[in-house]
Amino acid sequence: MTTKTPDGKIINQQEKIYMPIPQQFGRGDKMGRGPYEKSGLLKDTSLPPLRTVKETFSIPLYKESKKDGKLARTIISNDITVEVELWYLPYGKKDDEGNSQMWQKVTKKLSIAKGGK
Amino acid sequence: MKFVKVLVILILVGFALTAFAAAPAGKKAKTIDELVKMYDSSSCKDCHAEIYAEWEKSLHARSIFGPAEVGRTAATLKTTVENGHKDWPYSGVKKPEDMKVEHLMVCASCHLPQLAEAEDSVAQEIMKNVYAFKETDDAAAMKLQSLNINCLVCHQRNAIVHKWVDGYPEKNVVYGFKNGEHPSPDFPKMKQSKIMGESILCGQCHGQGPNFAQDNPTQCATLYGSYNFAYIPEGERETCQECHIKKSKLGHNMQSYRSPEMAKMALDMHVYAEAFQWRDVATTTPAATVIVELKNKAGHAIPDG
Repeated sequence: MTTKTPDGKIINQQEKIYMPIPQQFGRGDKMGRGPYEKSGLLKDTSLPPLRTVKETFSIPLYKESKKDGKLARTIISNDITVEVELWYLPYGKKDDEGNSQMWQKVTKKLSIAKGGK
Repeated sequence: MKFVKVLVILILVGFALTAFAAAPAGKKAKTIDELVKMYDSSSCKDCHAEIYAEWEKSLHARSIFGPAEVGRTAATLKTTVENGHKDWPYSGVKKPEDMKVEHLMVCASCHLPQLAEAEDSVAQEIMKNVYAFKETDDAAAMKLQSLNINCLVCHQRNAIVHKWVDGYPEKNVVYGFKNGEHPSPDFPKMKQSKIMGESILCGQCHGQGPNFAQDNPTQCATLYGSYNFAYIPEGERETCQECHIKKSKLGHNMQSYRSPEMAKMALDMHVYAEAFQWRDVATTTPAATVIVELKNKAGHAIPDG
């Protein structure tokens, strides 16, 4: 998930990985590097069948500073664009032509009201 | 008398050779070309042209090479030798030329199960081409692409799982949904496979976990386990074939994550987003919250294979 200002500057990036994490030779705490080592699971964050997985991402839209000894939070931009992309990365990289696949992309434009107290 | 003895021995030897020649089931392929010939399904397209054309687009049709132009499966075979077999002290493999059928079966038990009917020279020829392919050797890529999971693997060799119950697959028979005549000189009979429409047929390779029958167990694809232990408990019973062949309308071009059709069928994504200003006494905090909902509609966890 990427958050950008209207001029395209990236102000926040977050990601969540969904995958069964293979255990090397079914022992210890090391993830198996390749399929030839996969003999157990260390952890499984894959998407389970017929279930809905819900993620909540919090995006701070401010810079922090001190003014007269007090904490001040200055807004970075009143208008932002949030891009949510869902990728299938069989080898863990986006720049992997022929292997990586972008499945879905949703873009949302958000605004913070100006003025007021 | 001596002449008679020699004649008898020659006749016996001749009988033995004839018996061996008449038992092709025991004959093992010595070269890739011989193995390809043993599992040549090209004649199937004479009558099943549409299905054959679908299959040709599938990853099953390039099960050793991998996706067209990319060859990722072949690249992983090389990694398996370099980071696996050569590194394992008791594998007996010090260099790629040491690879035997038993070593390659770590991958080939699913990517090329018919390799079990080949001699070690075929495993070595495969590895030679795997290493050559990385040097942009087109001939090597073509050779590797001649090895696949074709009609005869699913509709004959692997069409019966419980052999003590249903018998062993017969060489002149193709297995499908019906019994009867099959107008093909090499396969004149058609028999029903009781699992042709069942998930267990696919589960032979898209398996449950490490293959403990091997000396160095592993299994990269564990989808049948997820199907049995996570999907079935949800109260559903659709089979692999129902989604990947019928509902997808892809037929024998059985696809998974690389296919836009399957990706659309597999997941729904909804995004809810809002920006707001939170206030802690005099400090204003501008922020946004984004909620992403992902619903896996498939009969197995995503990702898996």
